[in-house]
Amino acid sequence: MISLFYSPIICLGQVKHTISGIIKDKKTGETLIGATVRIDEKKIGTATNEYGFYSLSVDSGSYTLGINYIGYVEELRTISLLKDLTINVSLVAGGKQLTEVTISSKKKDDNITNSQMGMNTLDIKAINALPVLFGEKDVLKIVQMLPGVKSAGDGNSGFFVRGGGADQNLILLDEAVVYNPSHLLGFFSVFNSDAIKNLTLYKGNEPAQFGGRLSSVMDIKMNDGNDQSYHASGGIGLISSRLNLEGPIVKDKGSFLISARRTYADAFLALSNDPSTRKTQLYFYDLNAKFNYKISDKDRIYLSGYYGKDVLGLGGKFGINWGNATGTFRWNHLFNPKLFSNTSLIYSNYHYNIDINSGGIDASVLSVIRDWNFKEELKYYISPTNALSFGFNSVYHIITPGQFSGNVAPPDVAKVNSWENAIYASDSWKPTDKLSFDIGIRLSSFSVLGGANNYYNLDENHNIIDTNHYANGKIVETFINPEPRLSGNYQLNKSSSIKAAYGRNAQYLHLLSNSTTSNPTDKWVSTNNIIKPELADQFSLGYFRNFKDNTYEVSAESYYKTMQNEVDYKDNAQVLSNTPVETQLLFGQGRAYGLELLARKNEGRFTGWVSYTLSKTQLQINGINNNNWYNARQDRTHDLSVVGMYKLSKKWTVSADFVYYTGNAVTYPSGKYQVDNQVVFYYTERNAYREPAYHRLDLGATLKLKDHKRFTSEVSFSLYNAYGHENPYSITFQEDPNDANKTQAVQTALFKWVPSISYNFKF
Amino acid sequence: MNINKIFLYLLVITTFSSCQKVIKINLNGSSPKFVIIGNVTDEPGPYTIKITKSVNFDQDNVFPGVDNAVVYITDQTLNITDTLSEISSGNYQTHFLSGVSGHTYHLYITSDNNVFTSSSIMPTRVPLDSIYTQKSLFGSGTDVVPIYKDPVGVGNQYHIILKIKDSISSVAVYIHDDALQDGNLVSEALMNSIDIHSGDSVMVELQCIDENVFQYYTDLSATIQQNSAAPSNPQSNITGGALGYFSAHTSYRKSIIAQ
Repeated sequence: MISLFYSPIICLGQVKHTISGIIKDKKTGETLIGATVRIDEKKIGTATNEYGFYSLSVDSGSYTLGINYIGYVEELRTISLLKDLTINVSLVAGGKQLTEVTISSKKKDDNITNSQMGMNTLDIKAINALPVLFGEKDVLKIVQMLPGVKSAGDGNSGFFVRGGGADQNLILLDEAVVYNPSHLLGFFSVFNSDAIKNLTLYKGNEPAQFGGRLSSVMDIKMNDGNDQSYHASGGIGLISSRLNLEGPIVKDKGSFLISARRTYADAFLALSNDPSTRKTQLYFYDLNAKFNYKISDKDRIYLSGYYGKDVLGLGGKFGINWGNATGTFRWNHLFNPKLFSNTSLIYSNYHYNIDINSGGIDASVLSVIRDWNFKEELKYYISPTNALSFGFNSVYHIITPGQFSGNVAPPDVAKVNSWENAIYASDSWKPTDKLSFDIGIRLSSFSVLGGANNYYNLDENHNIIDTNHYANGKIVETFINPEPRLSGNYQLNKSSSIKAAYGRNAQYLHLLSNSTTSNPTDKWVSTNNIIKPELADQFSLGYFRNFKDNTYEVSAESYYKTMQNEVDYKDNAQVLSNTPVETQLLFGQGRAYGLELLARKNEGRFTGWVSYTLSKTQLQINGINNNNWYNARQDRTHDLSVVGMYKLSKKWTVSADFVYYTGNAVTYPSGKYQVDNQVVFYYTERNAYREPAYHRLDLGATLKLKDHKRFTSEVSFSLYNAYGHENPYSITFQEDPNDANKTQAVQTALFKWVPSISYNFKF
Repeated sequence: MNINKIFLYLLVITTFSSCQKVIKINLNGSSPKFVIIGNVTDEPGPYTIKITKSVNFDQDNVFPGVDNAVVYITDQTLNITDTLSEISSGNYQTHFLSGVSGHTYHLYITSDNNVFTSSSIMPTRVPLDSIYTQKSLFGSGTDVVPIYKDPVGVGNQYHIILKIKDSISSVAVYIHDDALQDGNLVSEALMNSIDIHSGDSVMVELQCIDENVFQYYTDLSATIQQNSAAPSNPQSNITGGALGYFSAHTSYRKSIIAQ
């Protein structure tokens, strides 16, 4: 279908030549993602892909090639195009922007000209000045201040995008899935900002190369490492420290980057009066490493990896540790100046391990989810107005729900193997100056495989009626879903556009929790004969406008999303026990809709944004609330974020952010009764109440210290929750300790103020 | 071992400064529900069925008794029925029934056109070997550790009651089953929030309960802890829409003086 669409354009092509190459930062050798390359004489242009590669095809002639990237000096090259040319350009950071803070790394008016919608990009350098919790910059925290993205709350690791659950976000680090993006029960993300180049978030209308989650894709790219000279940077904070090393393997040909972090929150626990607190272990560490090497002008390989681990222990009697490990091997190959290929072999692993050594029990349980993933992506730059992407992806998932060892060792819960595949094609097409489209189709499939695990049949009361087994590796059932993706942009004038998009996403892995808060022990389960693939159809419409040479941007986006095969829990569900989870779940439909407003100032001494989301998210599941529609836990009516950074002087930058959002929809009791002389609360309806609204102000200041030759350093101060509002982590109900005749509600907040100071250096 | 509690404990010490306060929440009212609590034990009778109604959250903890109900308990093994008498508001007592392990007991109640029924099988008795106290694993309290020998054969379920100084009952729900430790000598600590001093009397009652009652207590434990994924009412083994349970269980008590 797609080839039919384009054959006329290809056939009509005259004698054209292709200019292609890589755009980099001159000082660091880092490739620049989204740098623009344009030919003014032809009024055409393109942007570099995630490997810094661009390709432009035009008629023979003499042209001026302009290369631009925000925060860099524009480079102009005069070329005479008589044959295919390779032009690699290194841009110099600088110009007037050097003293400013820039939020977006994309080309200035990308929000207007690009047909992609529901997308936000963050440049890591841009967030340097923002206030931080415990002295650690955190890209995940910043993302939660963008419209349509909602924090799961203090002490919770997840985030919610356009009404989707925390498990409906595909989080990729150099293409590898990160199953648990948080450290220390949500206080830190696993993404060490020293090692991260860029983050792009797609809110449900992602290009066809992505798939597997309903609500969003968070695509995070690691830095490649400086291929010009050796550098070190790091930071020392109150409870954590970091060190980052990078440099060339062979100058201009290859580089490495190693970045490590360690927290030592438990150092403070040693000061506690309580002996059992003193014996508590509580820390995490993580390591990012990346190598890349240019084998030839046409081939470059990348090897990148992440390893992180959290350790919590209570005096040797109870311990839990968990962590992600990912590895990505990539090979970029240029078949010809128009055809760019990337082949990836990707490994992802998430595990947790619980040890208990008390009361005569010395045992441990290990739970793992592991993926092996092969991916081939090709991009064919047909013409400046038309680029075709196509490829496939094959993932083998192995879920080990629980492997026991020790003196109390129940039989292991059997491994579940599954195989997820997808092929896709997608085209970026700009038929006229004002109109552009992204048209894509993804065909995904998921096969559940036989093995030691049980497949159940349930009656209408969710009791098991029979149990089936299938031979190891045998395909038990395959689900196939076509996922069309379509988005269009009509540019009204130079500074405004309207966009519309439709997309279908399918999700085959689901996360179950045994608690209203998120924990490292939340359980990933695979689609099977009972748990069906979740499906979402999202329509969105938006208006985008820039002012004053793109210094200011405003946008309004609205979305309507319907979801099928959504999962919620039966009353009294226990998902961490050895009971088959299939018997604990109920399935139904969902709907989410909302309006997202964003106003942003991208350049100047003062930068920042205001984002507001008005939304509704509901579920209808037979067996819950008399089969009526009810609010999903993450339903938030209002969500407001205000972020500002101001460059006071050459030395000082100050910043502040404020967030306000409607509390989660929660289940509270509507009565009470007595059992065995104890008051028990009586529940009538799921998610019928609201937690109190959440609001918080954070303040930050960064002082740049005197430079010594190559050595630069700064001190960051921040005050998290500046006015000390106690936001609830949980609300529980109890008998009044002072009056046995009464009951009361008690709110637990995790903190009031959290001041922090950290010292960062670079040389 | 409740993992959610441990995570909260760790979160609290992570942030060094967590704070709790009583807040005002407007909770909706609900129409009163019947609450039935019934126990038949292998100790000598009489046994009591207590029928009350639920109240709204902001009301006092005074739960009105349901008067003039008709209450029968039938020993289905012997096929004898005892008609209970109301001895005080909402409290109904047996006259001659005597609980025996292995017998099935059937409860029948009518009140204002409502009919509630339930049945429960009294399991075989398991004795307590001994109990002792130890310093708590978490925090600074005192744990009580009962020791009993689980009989060989999976399917034993236990409910344990802890009472200090004959008056203070632990609010935690202690339940065990033998799925993972069939035939073992079980010594699982009863964690509690009671301030136990040396010299206090410590009483532990080991009940052997049937499967439906075990399920009820499992749910009750989650309801009381208020941190399950879907807070809800425990699944009662009584039909007809009442809250509560009807349990035919054995009872074995032991007391010591805390060290």
